[in-house]
Amino acid sequence: MLKNYIKIAFRNLWKDKSFTLLNVLGLSIAFAASLLLGMYALFDLSYDQFHKNKEDLFQVYYAEQKPGGQEVATSMPVPFAPALQQELPNIKHISRYISDHALNLEAGKELDLNLIFVDPDFFQMFSFETVLGTKEVLKDNAQISITEETAQKLFGKTEALGETLDLLINGRREVFTVGSILKDPPVTSGLRFDVAVNFSHSPNYTENLDRWDSRNHSVFIQLNEDATASDITQSAVSFTDLHYKGNIEDLKRDGAQPNANGNYLELHLLPFKDIHFADFKGHSLKVSRAYPYMILGIGLLILCIAGINFVNMSIARSAQRLREIGMRKTLGAAKKQLFFQFWSESVWVFMIALLLGIGISMALESSFRQLFNTPATLSHLSSPVLIGVLVGSFVVITFIAGGYPALVLSKLGTLKALKGKLDLAGKNRVRNTLMVVQFSIAIVLISGTLVLKKQLDFMRNKDLGFNKTQVVAVPLNGKRANRQDVALLRNELAGKPGILSVTASDNNLGLGKDGSTYFSRMGFDYKGRGVHTNMLVVDYDYPETLGLQLKEGRTFSRSYSGDSLSIVINEAMARELQEKDPVNKQIILDDSIKYTIVGVLKDYNFQSLNKKIEPISLFMKSDWDLYYAFVKVAPQNMAQTFESIEDAWKRIEPNAEFLGSFLDENIDRTFKRERTMTTIITSGSLIAIILSCIGLFAISMLVVTQRTKEIGVRKVVGASVAQITFLLTKDFVKLVGIAFLIAAPVAWWLLSQWLQDYEYRIELQLWIFLAAGLLAVFIALVTISFRTIRAALKNPVESLRTE
Amino acid sequence: MLLQLNHIYKWVKQGGKRVFLLNDISLDVEEGEFISIMGPSGSGKSTLLNVIGMLDEFQEGEYMFLDESVHTLKEKHRSKLYKEYIGFVFQAYHLIDELTVYENIETPLLYKNIKSSERKALVADMLDRFNIVGKKDLFPAQLSGGQQQLVGIARALIAKPKLILADEPTGNLNSKQGEEIMELFKELNQEGVTIIQATHSESNAAYGNRIIHLLDGSKQHQASN
Repeated sequence: MLKNYIKIAFRNLWKDKSFTLLNVLGLSIAFAASLLLGMYALFDLSYDQFHKNKEDLFQVYYAEQKPGGQEVATSMPVPFAPALQQELPNIKHISRYISDHALNLEAGKELDLNLIFVDPDFFQMFSFETVLGTKEVLKDNAQISITEETAQKLFGKTEALGETLDLLINGRREVFTVGSILKDPPVTSGLRFDVAVNFSHSPNYTENLDRWDSRNHSVFIQLNEDATASDITQSAVSFTDLHYKGNIEDLKRDGAQPNANGNYLELHLLPFKDIHFADFKGHSLKVSRAYPYMILGIGLLILCIAGINFVNMSIARSAQRLREIGMRKTLGAAKKQLFFQFWSESVWVFMIALLLGIGISMALESSFRQLFNTPATLSHLSSPVLIGVLVGSFVVITFIAGGYPALVLSKLGTLKALKGKLDLAGKNRVRNTLMVVQFSIAIVLISGTLVLKKQLDFMRNKDLGFNKTQVVAVPLNGKRANRQDVALLRNELAGKPGILSVTASDNNLGLGKDGSTYFSRMGFDYKGRGVHTNMLVVDYDYPETLGLQLKEGRTFSRSYSGDSLSIVINEAMARELQEKDPVNKQIILDDSIKYTIVGVLKDYNFQSLNKKIEPISLFMKSDWDLYYAFVKVAPQNMAQTFESIEDAWKRIEPNAEFLGSFLDENIDRTFKRERTMTTIITSGSLIAIILSCIGLFAISMLVVTQRTKEIGVRKVVGASVAQITFLLTKDFVKLVGIAFLIAAPVAWWLLSQWLQDYEYRIELQLWIFLAAGLLAVFIALVTISFRTIRAALKNPVESLRTE
Repeated sequence: MLLQLNHIYKWVKQGGKRVFLLNDISLDVEEGEFISIMGPSGSGKSTLLNVIGMLDEFQEGEYMFLDESVHTLKEKHRSKLYKEYIGFVFQAYHLIDELTVYENIETPLLYKNIKSSERKALVADMLDRFNIVGKKDLFPAQLSGGQQQLVGIARALIAKPKLILADEPTGNLNSKQGEEIMELFKELNQEGVTIIQATHSESNAAYGNRIIHLLDGSKQHQASN
């Protein structure tokens, strides 16, 4: 029996070669696309999930009741972690964490290394496998852990226990002994490092040992297995009351309202497995896996479109097999047997398509990874559970898409089938509904593409308040003191053609090639209120080099001697201080040092565009460090000027890598997620359109065949080619119209939700959706016109003769 | 008694009025009979055959097949009944285009879950008997109309039915081929198979031992020779 089914299945598929081809083509494209998208999404979802203790690991954060409402923050003071472990029950392990970098000073191997400062518990908590040495290595202050890759790079071997490392960390030179070798962290690890060092080596550790008001690191804890995060929040109330007494009193004084539990400052725990998906947006912490799920969703939609094609084509084609069905019934076939026969035919098509799809996805894997800038590989899908899920979903898809037509066919009445009569009205309703669904998906994806592109362009081209095209930022990663490097760079570049000015600051704009981001904020009392500001340490000419607009007062200048006690603020800061005329007003920091505001800058976007412009204050203290040099170049011969900057840097720091880049590149780099999403949606909608067209083409082919006689008769009684084409086309266009009516509001809602994330965003306009709809109509028209016009042109005698 | 129809009525509604397809048909068929149903187009020949073959329903009347009352049976039992006892032969042959001659003949056996070795033997017998062994691997499209109908009959016979229902079996054939098919039916009848055929042609009808004339769904008169 089975052999018979297989035989007839292949003969049937072969007989309808064009349909089989269209089906296999569509399905394999869909399988390939959804496999790749699934790979991408599942990879994203697997971030940080490899830690054995992940259920008990948490990051500690504050929720503070500020006068303007709740704010959350993750950075902690140095004495916090030891005190917490001592005073609270249920904490099994705790570790402070700072990510930094260090320069390996050994001659010939000057190498910039990613370094983390952590407490000895760190390796008990997280599953970074120790290959050589012990997990407790950091208990010895002079010992460090390095990864196998780092060992290979530095010592040419992975067995590097006992070797020494001469590191320059934040201007301080220290020698360490390698005490353990670790497996390289998996690519799905959010914590990435080459070297782990005891936390006591972190910057300003001894100064901050007892200071609760200086916060500069994250804290991770591992709870005892039976403890929960809310237990800790509850038992930490007395802890915060004790150690944050001053803070809480200030909050009360400034008029903050306590939260629902009556607390001004609470400690909360963020599950470590959620960290990759967490977004600290100032006011609240949002854990959202929407992004990977959306990508998974696009993959499913594509599969759905291909599945619909399959269902529609199978049902439409069945008209040609009615006699066979009827005959088989009179020969004694039961419904079950017929169902199984037709279903098995579908299974073959799906199997072939799946194999092809897997082949295509493997062939495209590397270009996909490049395009979407992801380390995900198909091997991430190869765990037994995932393979089970994949096989399961394949069976489900095959069952639904292959089973529905089989069910319809096997249920046909014997006599009706024998006479070749198909109850067309009912089938068409299903077909039409499915086509509406298909085109709705396509329209949603097309409008998504348009909106995402517009938003991305908007962000790229937005005037950020500074000159991003003419300024090069150079990370100061050399081994000399940074201020010295800046001075040397100034000298080297002075008078060079195309160089307009040179300055420096302690923070970059956008994301540089060094890949590092940080922010520095402080709070102080002003006229009896607590105020907050971002801090930026700058060198002379900073506002001028970056083209920041001065609103009032002056900027730092060499002609004033006392500028180390001057500050320049932005408009947002003036508002924070509630000063209409802030110039010459004084603020007091560190209890006694008075700073005078000498100028006010117009607001500029120094942070990402999904944030409002926050208050910022520019300092010019020569004893604070600078990390980035900024060079403004003339608009002519920019490439050449860029090279001369690189050359100058190479002369100053011959061993350091030149990581300079234009600010507009840096800004662009911050849009990685948006760019990836735009690419995914664009390719998704492209595939959706292609697949929908394949389906539409096939259906139009069948409809035209079914109506051959009608077309002939109509022509005989005098219909023109145009009238016939219109007759055949209008039904399809109507479907696309209905799809538009359904899809437009859905797309509008989804996209406005997405845009909510951006403080600076485009307005949704009707024309975007109309354009998407029109595009869909146009594509549909072109697709069906191939068949309809040909049918309309046909000599009626010919079409009538065939009946 | 093989089957018995008692006062069968079948109608469709057209504009609120009943149009009778079968109007008070009563018929007794004994085993071994060869009955021809005659009548012009639309007289109800095919409908009557379909009712006898249990492919079609009727509104009123009783139908007994081998002492089972068909009109009270459920669809499942009915199909079991005709699967077991009835073979169909059609004007348009209704062979399955994608199957070879051999496979077409084999199909009813597959649905009866007969073992592979037994199937082989049965099909080989049938091919032998109809002299189409050399054509067993051809597809229907490669055969002439007469040959296709031969395969159709072979397929109807393979399951050893008690009754063969043939709806215009020679309608698509030329007269020589038609004659051969009718001779074959006669032979089969002599071997004990009951045959009911619907036909237009007087000469074909004459092969039967009883002729039923239909007009507008009613039996006209009954003649036997």
